[in-house]
Amino acid sequence: MSATLEYKENTCESSGTISCKEILGVLQRMGGCFSDMQGGKQAVGGLREAETHTRNNNGTQNDAVDLFYKSQGFQQLFTQVELSLSASNLLDRDIASKSDPMVVVFAKTIDGKLEELGRTEVIMNCLNPEWIEKISVAFHFEIVQPLEFHVYDIDTKYHSVPTKTLKLRDQEFLGMACCTLSEIVTKPRRSLTLRLQNKSGNGGSRNLGAITVNAEETVASRSAVEMVLRCSHLDNKDVFSKSDPFLRISRIAESGGYIPICKTEVINDNLNPKWKPVYLSANKFGSKDNPLVIECFDFNSSGDHVLIGKLQKSVADLEKLYKERTGVNFFIPSTRHRQDKVLKGQLFVDQYCEKEQFSFIDYISSGFELNFMVAVDFTASNGDPQRSDSLHYIDPYGRLNSYQKAIMEVGEVIQFYDSDRQFPAWGFGGNIPGGTVSHCFNLNGSSGASEVVGIEGIMDAYASALRSVTLSGPTLFGPVINMAAQIAAQSLTSHSNTKYYVLLIITDGVVTDLQETINAIVKASDLPLSILIVGVGGADFTSMEVLDADNGRRLESSSDRVATRDIVQFVPMREVQSGQISVVQALLEELPQQFLSFMRSRDIKPLPSTSTMPQSY
Amino acid sequence: MMASRSVEITILSAENLQMNKRAIRGNAFVTVKSDASSNTSATRVDSEGGSYPSWNEKVVMDVPFHARFITVEVKCKTSSTGSNSVGVARIPVSDFIGGYVPDNQLHFLSYRLWDGKVRRNGVVNISVRVKVAEHHSNSTPLPPPVTGVPLPSHPSTGLVTGIPALWLNYQTNSSF
Repeated sequence: MSATLEYKENTCESSGTISCKEILGVLQRMGGCFSDMQGGKQAVGGLREAETHTRNNNGTQNDAVDLFYKSQGFQQLFTQVELSLSASNLLDRDIASKSDPMVVVFAKTIDGKLEELGRTEVIMNCLNPEWIEKISVAFHFEIVQPLEFHVYDIDTKYHSVPTKTLKLRDQEFLGMACCTLSEIVTKPRRSLTLRLQNKSGNGGSRNLGAITVNAEETVASRSAVEMVLRCSHLDNKDVFSKSDPFLRISRIAESGGYIPICKTEVINDNLNPKWKPVYLSANKFGSKDNPLVIECFDFNSSGDHVLIGKLQKSVADLEKLYKERTGVNFFIPSTRHRQDKVLKGQLFVDQYCEKEQFSFIDYISSGFELNFMVAVDFTASNGDPQRSDSLHYIDPYGRLNSYQKAIMEVGEVIQFYDSDRQFPAWGFGGNIPGGTVSHCFNLNGSSGASEVVGIEGIMDAYASALRSVTLSGPTLFGPVINMAAQIAAQSLTSHSNTKYYVLLIITDGVVTDLQETINAIVKASDLPLSILIVGVGGADFTSMEVLDADNGRRLESSSDRVATRDIVQFVPMREVQSGQISVVQALLEELPQQFLSFMRSRDIKPLPSTSTMPQSY
Repeated sequence: MMASRSVEITILSAENLQMNKRAIRGNAFVTVKSDASSNTSATRVDSEGGSYPSWNEKVVMDVPFHARFITVEVKCKTSSTGSNSVGVARIPVSDFIGGYVPDNQLHFLSYRLWDGKVRRNGVVNISVRVKVAEHHSNSTPLPPPVTGVPLPSHPSTGLVTGIPALWLNYQTNSSF
């Protein structure tokens, strides 16, 4: 058994434009096939090169964007995952020896094209290979990411050729398998085994073997440190007022330079500033004993910030400062004298705590779920469903109307995170059989359970409700939101906090009673619930933007309660239809963060891994 | 003895506190009382946060069953004995008792503060947990009522056979 170590990090110079990628190693298991591997040497040795190749080739992760988020101290909305591959019982195509297998991983685009994400190395003479080369892919929660795995037997005469230049049509095809990335990450231990099939899509009677895909998030560490930093008696660098200080914390690179990892906000006109908490993840500072350079600058709008003072301390030193409640003096490097000049200004650590930060995938793969709920507008403004200009018109040729489109787009992403696929589905603003207007009725027509099975179940229930319910009004969201909130609230005790709910409301018009809706949202803002509102049709939705607190204004109920957090995303569907990138994706993009904000605020941790869980086959 | 329940209120923080339309400089503290009892609890004075103070201080109160409001008042200490009121929030007890959230759950709640001249002031953030007596929390929680959607007794749209899925959910979960 042998292992190599790989460690990867994107960092930036102060200009924010230069990226340097350090690859040191990730612990890798090497299978039994390793010993007889000849041609495979290349791929393992070329790990660094291949790593760069797959990332660039993949193109789904934009280094510049990644850097932007990192330099801003934000967690980026996507995560990079690495796929490890192994196979069992592959076909033996070679006569004299066993097959020499290699896997090519493809991403399937919306129009069905295959884009190569990367290749493993070739393993010689092996029908149960465990490949070492990892395939890197960006995980996007908001879209369905179909993947294809093609296994080839590489002819011996190509073994000296770099794998990425191999022409696949010259190689013998051993089988293929498909799945989506979300199927892998939602599995316990993020591992999924798939039967190999031939290209026509069926395995026939012949057993082509199976491939196992394991997804690992590329984070070096989950621990992080949160500190409140304060300074006293800083030098005054401004003429007419006091300094406008901010701190920059940098790691010392092996090459000797500084790599900034964090910057505080600027506090105006203050020589004794106290900054908002700074959050340093261990990914950024490395070990607690690594020296960090802390520089204090006087902000200058020209960008030419004046150094007030600097000092060098490790995270462990800073922790000590906090415990002893003592300060440490800044100094200013001196060019003339040998000795640095010690300043009166001091740095204090007012708060220090170490935290463990779990990712969305950590929660999901440990058994947490997103539960999907949907509510459809049955108000009269949609137009008579019998007429083709109605928003509710069901096209006999299967063209989806806006409601169906919204259900499909959101549902097909979220269904992977909902193991039982039982989706509560309601309608509102309709005149239900019996002659009364209801603002929350079951789409399936049942007077009991509102759940239907799968996205198809929602579609069927929606179509049948259109036949039995008469469109009416007014447009009220409150009853539907309260119903969803009630289900989410019950889960707090009965599901040990492992469920998070997503309510999709699709509507063609502005709500009649905005305050009633706001009250319901504020009341639900403390629950494991997010609400996505999609507006369809041509109505003016500007007043609906109020519900989506993206501008930083928190919603307020009529009883003076202020929303605990932002749980509403609103988007008009006409934006969805225009352009390549669906706005429904933009809606969904924020869900993992909303999920995390809820879990973190309550200190809910992923479930301990269950080693007895059977591997799914 | 007056019938009451024990409520744990943590005064977390306040935001954007003002006095006479200017951000307060600091020395804010909070008092908490219910409308049905004269007992008042107070937090320490925050000297560092300025107009964004934080306390993180837990107050345990006996809230009588007939209480309707908890009053949270943010004050500003002016001298060793004196203080000025910054703003008041009246919190309906129904926001954390008897709603759809089960008892013993932690609520994170925020409220708008109003000053003595009925002007909007900042926001106060608290967390609340209603303590449930031991014998309650130990027993298996009753399955919540399957909250029917207000459907009138319309002529049947078809027979519903089988067990409501909600009910099945509760069954499987109670086996944890």
